[in-house]
Amino acid sequence: MSTRYRWLVLAVAAVFLVLIGRLWQLQVLRAEQYRTATYGNMVQKRPLPTLRGRLLDRQGRVLADNQPAYSLVMRVVREKPDVLAELFETIGVSARQRRAAAARLARAVRRRRGDPFVLIRELSRDQLGRFEMHRERLKAFRVASGVRRHYPNGRLAAHVLGYMSLVSPAELADSRGQPYLPDDLVGRFGAERLFEPYLRGVRGIERVVVDAHGSRVDEPWVDQMLGQRRRHAPVPGDDVRLTLDLDLQRVVDDELSRVEAGAAAVVDVESGRILAMSSAPAFDPNLISGVLPPQEAKALLEDPRRPLLDKAVREHYFPGSVFKVATAIAALEAGVVDAKETIQCTGALKRGRSRFRCTHQHGRVDLQRALAESCNIYFYRIAERLGIDRLAKYARMLGFGSPTGLGLNGEVAGVVPDQTWYRGRSRRYQPGFALNAAIGQGDVKVTALQVATAYAAIANGTLMLPRLVERIEQGSGELVVYQSHPRARQQLPVAPQTLELLRRALTAAVHDRKGTAYAVRLKRWKVAGKTGTAQVGRLRGQSAQQEHAWFAAFAPAEQPQIAVAVLVEHGGAGAKAAAPIAMKIIERYLDSSPAHPQLAHTAEHRQR
Amino acid sequence: MRAFERFSHRFDWPLFTAIVALLAIGMMNLYSASETSGRSLFAAQMVWLVFGVVGAVATTAIDYRHFYRASGFTYAAGIVLLVLVLAVGKNLNGAQRWLYVGIWLQPSEPMKVLAVLALAKLLHDEGASQSERRHYPLLQILVALLPIVLILRQPDLGTAAVVGLILGSMLVAVRLPAGAFVPLIVAGLISLPLCWRFVLTAYQRRRIVTFLNPTRDPSGAGWQARQALLAIGAGGVSGMGFMRGTQNVLNFVPERWTDFPFAVLAEEWGLFGGLLVIGLYTLAVVRALRIAMDARDRFGSVTAVGVGALIFWHAVLNLAMVMGLMPVVGITLPFLSYGGSSLVTMLGASGLLLNVGLRRVTY
Repeated sequence: MSTRYRWLVLAVAAVFLVLIGRLWQLQVLRAEQYRTATYGNMVQKRPLPTLRGRLLDRQGRVLADNQPAYSLVMRVVREKPDVLAELFETIGVSARQRRAAAARLARAVRRRRGDPFVLIRELSRDQLGRFEMHRERLKAFRVASGVRRHYPNGRLAAHVLGYMSLVSPAELADSRGQPYLPDDLVGRFGAERLFEPYLRGVRGIERVVVDAHGSRVDEPWVDQMLGQRRRHAPVPGDDVRLTLDLDLQRVVDDELSRVEAGAAAVVDVESGRILAMSSAPAFDPNLISGVLPPQEAKALLEDPRRPLLDKAVREHYFPGSVFKVATAIAALEAGVVDAKETIQCTGALKRGRSRFRCTHQHGRVDLQRALAESCNIYFYRIAERLGIDRLAKYARMLGFGSPTGLGLNGEVAGVVPDQTWYRGRSRRYQPGFALNAAIGQGDVKVTALQVATAYAAIANGTLMLPRLVERIEQGSGELVVYQSHPRARQQLPVAPQTLELLRRALTAAVHDRKGTAYAVRLKRWKVAGKTGTAQVGRLRGQSAQQEHAWFAAFAPAEQPQIAVAVLVEHGGAGAKAAAPIAMKIIERYLDSSPAHPQLAHTAEHRQR
Repeated sequence: MRAFERFSHRFDWPLFTAIVALLAIGMMNLYSASETSGRSLFAAQMVWLVFGVVGAVATTAIDYRHFYRASGFTYAAGIVLLVLVLAVGKNLNGAQRWLYVGIWLQPSEPMKVLAVLALAKLLHDEGASQSERRHYPLLQILVALLPIVLILRQPDLGTAAVVGLILGSMLVAVRLPAGAFVPLIVAGLISLPLCWRFVLTAYQRRRIVTFLNPTRDPSGAGWQARQALLAIGAGGVSGMGFMRGTQNVLNFVPERWTDFPFAVLAEEWGLFGGLLVIGLYTLAVVRALRIAMDARDRFGSVTAVGVGALIFWHAVLNLAMVMGLMPVVGITLPFLSYGGSSLVTMLGASGLLLNVGLRRVTY
């Protein structure tokens, strides 16, 4: 019995020793590892949202800011579908919200246990009210207050300001810089996109302790344990102060909203600042930002007037006669014509099998009359002397054929054809191409912004880089992060007399009795401008569409402040469709401009 | 005065101390585990403790030879209760383990002790009457198998296995040659976890776990076991302090007053707490064996072995499970787990041990 006892005790002791060994392994050898794991269990990093920077006009007036918004947060991930069904029933959700909610729930289930997540963004007022009324029944949810992007002026400058949309999978996967989170909105278009890195700010981090059910625990020991690491405050995004003038932009948008489709750009001649830029029809960024309902997206995408396209920079058009300034400068500088030479216009010109037409018989015209009255024959004849390559060279000097360097909305370069260009197209160059190019037809394509900057260059003698941003500032202007300065792309290598001649000719186009824009001249201000009526290529099987109407100008003619380009798609005659809009813009700007009192004096003097 | 001295001389103070210490640690641990969850189970367990102590006093005071005589009847009563569980018991999550008899009772718990007594009587009688020896092994196996089969039908494989281990240990301890024990037990215990980890595939392990716990969510079980392991490891050498273990306080430790109280204890009291508890179990089991050796008769001796095996297997299986050496099965930790049936059974059984010890042969 005694040996039996001893063996039994030994066996028992051996078993307990195994357990002690295991306890040693867990609590001594692996203690650190397990402690780290328990920390990961209970400490969750939660992002603290930051405030997106505002978009301001040149005077600091708000173009885009943030507005309080309410979203519905689901506290626990593992809920039965009938909880969702009850919620939907109670607060009433659109099919779109329902689908988005289902997708978010699926994503949350795939993530860590227990994290609360946003189920419905931007609850409507009605939904918020109904939720508050029945919140006792809907314990799985709570309302979280946040912000949404708000464009207080609606459609104003829509294409310049742009819009935001939901972060894409590719952006979520991008680890460079501050990563995006699901449900983030990203600047997708316009200034929102261009200045995204400045606007978005830096998210903060809050560490919280949660229990096994994912509920937040706030006890004194939590603070003690987390200490300094508890919270990193978010840094709000920078405000971007644009060069736009809210008042002028409103005028431009209003005028342009009356046409089917078109674009306009107004630049400050001296500095290259864009004072207003518009594309019609516009969209309301308040409606587009976030998740666009499929029907509305379809309507926007399929609208033949292409409202989502920024027609001021992203689309190029035949310039028609507004391009003649380039031909005129090229001819004068190349010495193929002088200001006094006159050319007989008989209304048509026959070259080979082609017939080149004019609007009517202008008789003998010199350069000034040819520009003022927009005689095609004159420009055909000097184009023959000039050749397409020299024409292209001077056109490029004015900024045509390359992006202006604004960087907004993927601006296009336009087309300035020369012989090399035609070789690249495998279309045999014919001398007739130069004739068409000379009057802004053929293969010449320009953007509205290019036209505005080119006319500003004629007014100024220097081609300026157009600018959209005045400065970028932090904390309501306390700290300027970036200040932009006027930058010249190039001094025009053109004789001053040439430019002076052009200014006079363009003034004549408006103020001369025979000028094409005489009918829409302003009483108080002298404007130098040029109409354009660009024929649109006839597509096979379609009847000819109406011409694109153009007007480009700078004013006041003697001491130019602004340059304007207006395009009306299929608007017909430039003098009728585009020039009145441009005149209205110029008048409203100069009338309200306190600058240059001597000019106002001149105007008064003239009136007297 | 002389009477007390005689009592004190015979009373097994080390065993008594071990049990009282385990009870105290258990109550303290339960307080920490349940208060932090917002459910106060401390008072309820206190009531059960009073019942248990009364029961223990009774099983200590009444000469165990009365239990010898009653063991057939009590065994039969226990079997009836087990049958009643299957007939009219409460079905909870697909298992039928509870019976309402004025209070909620889990008859499989007291059955462990009743079976020990019945088997002890058979082994005693076998020694007394040489003539009928041949019939006894079969009868012993039948008596052992009946409750096991009934418990399996609930189904409660964990408890059935424990009953089997306890009764099997008694038979082995009494019948096997002394020299065969250590290799047998040690080899068995070492090979079990090794087999679990290295011989069986993950799929087979899952099948076994699901088989052992038909009511438990198989994916949830792995998470629970891991949380318990984290709690123990995070406790380290010194522990995180009473009611300050984060795994406990934040509800990460599962079933922490029934199956996993040791995880809470080890997290809050560290290696010292864990070693103390394991040491107390070792002491209790060794004292049980000592009492068995010194017992006046075969019935007392075998009963002591059975009660020792009861404490031993419960403690070892529970600790192995909590420390991740075994799949999670619902086996309580003696004196530390919350629950009336378990506590009263353990205390009653402990009373029997002290009883046998008191009435031993003295020199």
